Amino acid sequence: MSSALTRTTSGPRAMALLWAVALVAVALIPWITGSTFHFHIAIMVCISAMATGGLAVTAWVGQLSLAHAAFAGIGAYTSVLLVTRLDLPVLLGLPAGALVAGGVAFVIGAPLLRLRGVYFVLITFALNELFRLVMLEIPEYSGGSSGIAGIPKISLFGATLSSYEAVYPFALVCLALVMGLLVLIRKGQLGRRFGAVEENLALAEASGIPTARTQNLAFTIGSAIAGFAGAFLAHYVGFISPETFGFQLSVSYVIMLVTGGRLALWGPLVGALFLTPLPEFLRGAVEYQHIIYGVILIAVLRFLPQGLAGLPAQLSRKEGRA
Amino acid sequence: MSFLIAQSLINGVILGTLYLLMAIGFTLAFGVMRIVNFAHGEFYMIGAFCALIGVTWLGLPYPVTLALTIVFAILMGAVVERLVFRPFRNDELSGMIASLGLAMILQHGALILFGPDPQAFPAMATGVFKWGALIVPKSRALALGIGIVILLIFYLFLMHTRHGRALRALVQDQEVAAVFGVRLEIMYPLGLGLGIALAAVAGGLMAPLFGVSPFIGATPLLKAFIVVILGGLGSIPGAALAAILLGLIESFTSSFVSASAADIVTFALVIGVLLVRPAGLLGRAEA
Amino acid sequence: MKRTTILAAASALAMVATGAVAQETLKIGALVTMSGAGASWGNGMKRAAELAAEDVNEAGGLEVGDTTYQVEIIAYDDSYKANEAVTAANRLVFEDEVKYIIGTVGSAPILAIQPITEENGVITMTLGFTAQALGADKQYTFRPNPTTAEVAQPQIDWIVRTQGVETVGALFPKDETGEAIAEDLSGAYEQAGATLVATEFFERDRVDFIPLLTRIIAQGVDAIELDGNSPVTAGQIVQQARDLGFEGVIIRTGGPATQEIVNVAGEAATEGMFVHSAFDPGVASAKAYEERYVETYDEPMNGFSPFFYDGTKMLFQAMQDAGTVEDTEAVATAYENISDYEGILGTMNWTGSERYGIAHQLDSPFYIARVTGGEEEIVARCTSTGCE
Repeated sequence: MSSALTRTTSGPRAMALLWAVALVAVALIPWITGSTFHFHIAIMVCISAMATGGLAVTAWVGQLSLAHAAFAGIGAYTSVLLVTRLDLPVLLGLPAGALVAGGVAFVIGAPLLRLRGVYFVLITFALNELFRLVMLEIPEYSGGSSGIAGIPKISLFGATLSSYEAVYPFALVCLALVMGLLVLIRKGQLGRRFGAVEENLALAEASGIPTARTQNLAFTIGSAIAGFAGAFLAHYVGFISPETFGFQLSVSYVIMLVTGGRLALWGPLVGALFLTPLPEFLRGAVEYQHIIYGVILIAVLRFLPQGLAGLPAQLSRKEGRA
Repeated sequence: MSFLIAQSLINGVILGTLYLLMAIGFTLAFGVMRIVNFAHGEFYMIGAFCALIGVTWLGLPYPVTLALTIVFAILMGAVVERLVFRPFRNDELSGMIASLGLAMILQHGALILFGPDPQAFPAMATGVFKWGALIVPKSRALALGIGIVILLIFYLFLMHTRHGRALRALVQDQEVAAVFGVRLEIMYPLGLGLGIALAAVAGGLMAPLFGVSPFIGATPLLKAFIVVILGGLGSIPGAALAAILLGLIESFTSSFVSASAADIVTFALVIGVLLVRPAGLLGRAEA
Repeated sequence: MKRTTILAAASALAMVATGAVAQETLKIGALVTMSGAGASWGNGMKRAAELAAEDVNEAGGLEVGDTTYQVEIIAYDDSYKANEAVTAANRLVFEDEVKYIIGTVGSAPILAIQPITEENGVITMTLGFTAQALGADKQYTFRPNPTTAEVAQPQIDWIVRTQGVETVGALFPKDETGEAIAEDLSGAYEQAGATLVATEFFERDRVDFIPLLTRIIAQGVDAIELDGNSPVTAGQIVQQARDLGFEGVIIRTGGPATQEIVNVAGEAATEGMFVHSAFDPGVASAKAYEERYVETYDEPMNGFSPFFYDGTKMLFQAMQDAGTVEDTEAVATAYENISDYEGILGTMNWTGSERYGIAHQLDSPFYIARVTGGEEEIVARCTSTGCE
């Protein structure tokens, strides 16, 4: 009895500590290898994890958005236009991107979120296409299909982060902030409300939760995070075009989220961490890379409904049963 | 001007019928299994490759090739249902995400097998029918003719056979259908198989017109999506109406305004319809 | 992303046999499109580099200064996307530490990777048609193939003069390449005394052109221009235009793709079409390259492939001239200084200082061919000053 008790109390805490140590170790890899290319991959992991984190917030209220790339695009274009046309510092452009993306989501969220399940997926899919097509029609702002090249790099108080080694710590800080926000939401009262809405909408409504407002809030926060990540991506890669933020990008965020764990707090991070560097390990099997993605996706859905982040729990449950 | 209108009308109806072939399988799969199948376009691609193999490699006559394509696609549908979709029967969202994975597997599988380059497909008919200034290419008339025949056969199957009635019952109400002895173990694979077969035969019909490559599935999937959203997920009459409507809208806006305007108009329409009538033009309210 | 290693066994043996000179490996990146719509171009470029590498390896290696190098091609796919190109470029430059990249196919990808390659002094050879790819501030970027801007005027002058074309309709993909070409062509037709009366832009993956062609043909155009479209799309346009009963002239002012167009549209529909050709089958070296390509890869040769074969060979010569493979600044200068290079397609020179502010644009002879029975038949020979 007492041993069971200690396991339930100290077990998770020890596990959490172990996970934290592992995460820090993974984050340190580029410095250990010293490879510039590893810094690049690590930065891409941070950006993907942030964007996927945004998608997760929307998923926590039971909605899956296929317009996530469009919101990343809104953030990217907002920041790039502010920085290049109005000479705003990038450090202000990034939050501005988040603000505008969140604002757009807030405005269109109310009518959109009346749709649920696959209908919401379909309308967000159509929205993403519409975003791409409309952006192509306004080349004076979007650069049209030629896109915008030579986007200024991220700079902090006048110091430009020109090398990957310099960008990476900043990316880590941004990711930590986003994940911190996710933890705050999840552990707070808002998280419980999200959970209630996700689990049973009618019940949540009946127990006095303003479900429409709750869903819209999640959608707004999620899309704002996407806007931030999109702006970061734009200033890091240095090139954007409407095609950058197409259906494919939305799908890749969905794959990361589902693989990591749709409802798990650490799902987005695990998904991005697993899938972004995956091509590196598949160098010899390039042709099979996308097939492997597809198989992973289906296998995770089938056998790990909690995603990779839920794997330890699933394993220990099995163990417990045995 | 009146020539342009009449020609656009003809073009629109032809396009609409072809879209219908794609959309009806998509909507059937949703109606029966509640799956939004993002891999639907890949079955169109597979159908086109089947036709290519039949006609150019094996030297079979075109109609025989199309018939074999249908048989192959129904079998494939049954396999896919068993391997991929069965675990997600009561989970629309997971089923849909799984179909994204399936689409990637199929497309890149075809890429490995056939390479990225488009393959030449011999013309099945050449020349044009002419009425005054109006022109219909014979190749399109042929595709249209076969398409209509297949749609008619499918309609008769749905209306007048036991399995057809069972499928319709499933679309109406899953639980009631089960109570009345509709065997889901047979009907699910059959429904998905038929839906996939319609996509595959559309691919076989379009191959001589639009060519064959591993990447041809995206456009028809998009069209099927639009048609099915406009018509209402799961509604076959809705799909028929919306397919013709989409064909006409595209044909007229492309001919009178521009191609990119046509795309924007259709997507705006899709969003409008979803917001005002989520169940589509003729769908049942359920969303 | 694909990694291909080509090391001829014969040359390895030769190396063991002689063994006197220092042997090292020279890695060259191929950052091209190997999946999706641009794959036939990408494969053509990658294989050009592979064949050029095979040549020097079989000859015992590339001698630069005192060292002999075995050339290895490392190929990655960018899927015609800027983002993937950036990741691949990072990998090539920092992980594989290459100093030379064959690629990219697309215009957006080259613009996206230039900040990396220019800053690190990596020489790139792009196919991308955008005017922005070349510039005075981009001293490491070269374009070893002529673009529409180079070939359009003389060809269009000739067509307008000999075929009595007054009005032209054209369809372009709605992307950076299509828009650039539309602008070039419109100006060229204007100057030749004809007008581009109808231009249509469409989404890249469109396959049904009947509504657009209906509109164009209804305006009574004398000719339809295909330049800027991928080989398949061009084939579909030809087929559908003929299906609609269009009997006027069909022209493709740039982008060698005749074989693919005939494949898609059929011999009957392409009969009498006028195409740009960089390839004179009468030139033995060109013919030999095509045969070697087909024999090695068992696929029809992409029309841009010979340019990149010559471009890679010229790069090898530049390394030898500079006496170094490490100092890319010296190699770039030597590359620039190559003139009257006798390539498999004819005599090659660099041009472009007026148009781009830097002479990194290849100038080569080209031809106007008439398609007869599915084959090109050369009807006029051109240089950048005019066609005869």
